[in-house]
Amino acid sequence: MKRSPIVVVGTMAGLFGVMSFHTTPAKITLGSVATPTSTGSSTSSATSTTASAPTTTSPPKKRTSPPASSRSTSSPTTSAGSASSSTTPATTAPVTTTTAAPATTTTASSNLAQTVTGPSVNYYFGLLSVKVTVAGKKITNVTIASLSDGGNYRSQQIDQASIPILEQEAMQAQNANIQSVSGASYTSAGFQLSLQDALKKVGIK
Amino acid sequence: MSASHDDSSPTRLHHREEVMGTVVTFDVYNNSGISPEEFLPYLQEAVAVLHHADKVFSTWKSNSPLSQLRRGEITLGEAPPEVAQVLEMCALAKAQTKGWFDPWALAGGVDPTGYVKGWSAQLSLASLVDAPITGAIINAAGDIASFGGLDATTPFRVGITDPLSPPALNCAIELRGAVATSGIYERGDHLVNPFTGEATTRALSASVTGPDLGLCDAWATALAVGGSEILELIEHTDDYEALTINADASRQWTSRFPIIDLETSH
Repeated sequence: MKRSPIVVVGTMAGLFGVMSFHTTPAKITLGSVATPTSTGSSTSSATSTTASAPTTTSPPKKRTSPPASSRSTSSPTTSAGSASSSTTPATTAPVTTTTAAPATTTTASSNLAQTVTGPSVNYYFGLLSVKVTVAGKKITNVTIASLSDGGNYRSQQIDQASIPILEQEAMQAQNANIQSVSGASYTSAGFQLSLQDALKKVGIK
Repeated sequence: MSASHDDSSPTRLHHREEVMGTVVTFDVYNNSGISPEEFLPYLQEAVAVLHHADKVFSTWKSNSPLSQLRRGEITLGEAPPEVAQVLEMCALAKAQTKGWFDPWALAGGVDPTGYVKGWSAQLSLASLVDAPITGAIINAAGDIASFGGLDATTPFRVGITDPLSPPALNCAIELRGAVATSGIYERGDHLVNPFTGEATTRALSASVTGPDLGLCDAWATALAVGGSEILELIEHTDDYEALTINADASRQWTSRFPIIDLETSH
């Protein structure tokens, strides 16, 4: 554990300049439009909910897990629906980020240019989100809308994908009952996740 | 390349490999002891699989076959056969997730990156099955492929990161096969589903476990974007189980998700 900081610095230095973002893919045109079947709303039933609201507002640090939730009822999955969702989430992000203002969707036939920002993808030391501009059904631009690590903006040239792994290894080493850790990390897949969500918001995905 | 003993145990080997723009870690176990020399040939093969996948599928390297295919410089038939194989698997995953996992969302460039990481880790794992070990874990940036356990009767346990406070853990699972986690952080937790016009609650973190890591990855991506509808879908999919963690710290999981709360596990 005590060696971690050194390892992190070394890795970041090693990666510097090697990796780079594709901030501006030259030209992307939209292809097949996926049409997920919209099932009727499964109105929510009992959700397993923990009572305690998270209170941390600072950058990543150790925190005990939320209390054990009541086990979901024997019936299949509970819908994540409306029951408990109206509570305002405690802010946990180290920094304010832009999220898409327009949650509404436009019909696909519109030719007006619109810009939507995808959700911020948590990559452990901060947040990243993707901004996409579309005209009609055509994507005209894709950029990184925000990249932050708690107030200190890092160079976009630094790929920090390895930092979560070092963090995970640290967590793993701390807990004798755990052999590995699964968590979302910032990778190019995270970029795509944010992008697909942005596309969904403008109704073309 | 080297595999190092874990300080605390002569029965575990650990290796970290930088590949695919990230870090992939290997942990293998044998409670009657294992030497790095013994394991090295297997590790070399497993690592080579990952580097080969990176060479073929990287969208960051302009000369990779996938990049060439995306630019239309080569046809699918001219690409290495694994490209067609992966795209076929992606098409299956897209159908299974009812379009919520969709590498074809952007034309002019199919991007199977989200699937390839899991697929290649799963393939890499196959190189280790004949090694003198009782179990192996390959962790590709938080997505895990595994077989076996700590010994013949003790399954692996894997922590699930708390999206509200990473890298702290929310819970653990008893690992059977693979697990993938995708996450979105979004302030304000309502989003309108463009297909139904309804507000949906979004999870901060979506974990999917099952036999194949490529599919787990696809499901986790779909679940992170699609929400409760996808959770319902996974409930009715054989061999795959899922957990979502929400902004209010509530959680939902499918009926057979092997969750372990850490407070009670010590």
